[in-house]
Amino acid sequence: MHIPDNFLSPPVWATLDAIAIPSVGLMVRQAGRQLDDTRIPLLGVMGAFVFAAQMINFPVGIGTSGHLVGGALLAYTLGPAPAVLVMTVIVAIQAFVFQDGGVLALGANVFNMAVVGVLAGYWPYHVWGASWRRPAMFAGAFLSVMVSGSLALGELLMSGVAMPRTMVLVSLALFAASAAIEGAITIGVIQAIAKLDAGFVPHPRASNRRTLAILGGAAIALGAVGFLVASAAPDGIQRLGIQLGLTATTVLHAPLADYSMGWSVESAWVRRATAGLAGLLLIYAVSAATARWLVRRRSA
Amino acid sequence: MHHVLLDRWSQGASPLHRRDARAKILALLVFLVVLATTPPNAVAVLATYAALLAAAILIAQLPLGLLMTRAMVVLPFSLTFALISWLAGEPLRALALVEKSYLSTVAVLLLAGVTPLPLLLGGLERLGSPQLLVLVAQFLYRYLFVLSEQAQHMRLAAACRNGGAGHRRASRFRSATGALAVLFARSYERAEGIHRAMLARGFSGRFSLLHAQRFRAGDGAFLLLVSAFLILVRLG
Repeated sequence: MHIPDNFLSPPVWATLDAIAIPSVGLMVRQAGRQLDDTRIPLLGVMGAFVFAAQMINFPVGIGTSGHLVGGALLAYTLGPAPAVLVMTVIVAIQAFVFQDGGVLALGANVFNMAVVGVLAGYWPYHVWGASWRRPAMFAGAFLSVMVSGSLALGELLMSGVAMPRTMVLVSLALFAASAAIEGAITIGVIQAIAKLDAGFVPHPRASNRRTLAILGGAAIALGAVGFLVASAAPDGIQRLGIQLGLTATTVLHAPLADYSMGWSVESAWVRRATAGLAGLLLIYAVSAATARWLVRRRSA
Repeated sequence: MHHVLLDRWSQGASPLHRRDARAKILALLVFLVVLATTPPNAVAVLATYAALLAAAILIAQLPLGLLMTRAMVVLPFSLTFALISWLAGEPLRALALVEKSYLSTVAVLLLAGVTPLPLLLGGLERLGSPQLLVLVAQFLYRYLFVLSEQAQHMRLAAACRNGGAGHRRASRFRSATGALAVLFARSYERAEGIHRAMLARGFSGRFSLLHAQRFRAGDGAFLLLVSAFLILVRLG
């Protein structure tokens, strides 16, 4: 579910941009440490594979067909951090080239699908993959789609997008159905891949087990929060969202409040725009700093 | 196909094509932020922005009608939510959702239409995106259509062999998983071949553009002008 621009309220997208950038930076750093240079073309080609895989339809019911989403599959074959990297690139290319999802909402979409989606998909495999391989893979693929969808729904509700309760429930049911399909497809494809070459699907690594378990647990907790937010009464949530939005705006405005003198004409807009631009500048500064730090680490 | 269209559009030589990618990305961000904070009832402001976009499309010598049709990909999503907002008694909000999401999509499509993707990615890298991310994006875009075509060939070949039509759903499902696994293995092999070929051609670990763009005074002026215009329209 790619959220277009102007569906999320400024505090929501700005916050998610600010969260997504350091998390992607962290994952890129981890992927850079794990991979040697020979694997860089592989990541790009695997991203292209996920795009191409959408051309192959899976029969799922009378007259309907589904296709692979791919976050969990990438995590099982490439490892979690490279999979987050590849999914981030996929979501960004979908936004810029295919107009699928917004540019300001890119942080939200990356967070939902690439960061939380992939990590939630890897987590069950990491914890139970050794003994219950197939159920763990199914659970992972199911979670990756379900959690991304619920998060998107929760973010829309937080932004005050009107949705009747029935629609929220129907969307959740649809997410659950496509999550189950993703689980079935992922298991089938992974088994077929392993038949071709067992080396394609490495067993979960024993190292950095704790961090990943924590990250995965956090991802699932966040997903559960999104689920709860989405399934709770929309009216109450909308009010909560407005309140949260308001508090977030006030926080954003606080450092700039004194500078708005003389701007009393439409000062609300000026302040909101300034806050938005300040948020963007902040995001830019964070990502630039992360990038510089990454380069320095790589060359050191 | 879509990519052929965008690639052809982005090869133009209009003043907009010649601007540095960074200036265009930043101008897009300013536009999107200003648009996102425009209240739904500011019809005149929204109309001015639409006119500005149309003018920019004409300056860039892109086909206006085609681009506006392409941007309609966002409408199914927007219209669904707009309908709900309308039914919930917020017609103004419904209208704004459709207008603003459509204008944003046109703006992004305009950026992609006047900037070839390698330059766009180069601009993002010089604005601070991690190098590894940009490198993977370059590879992905390069092989996106190669692999899509391969998948289409496989689908066609399966259809020619009757593709399991008439068989039970489970067996068709299994044959689709097999097709994906083959595509996966071929992509994997292709990636290894690509890397060897690139090493043989002296790949140093990063792409370098033949004509590296420089941020000139004109680019700065363009960015300032666009931002000032957008903000003045919004205030006025």
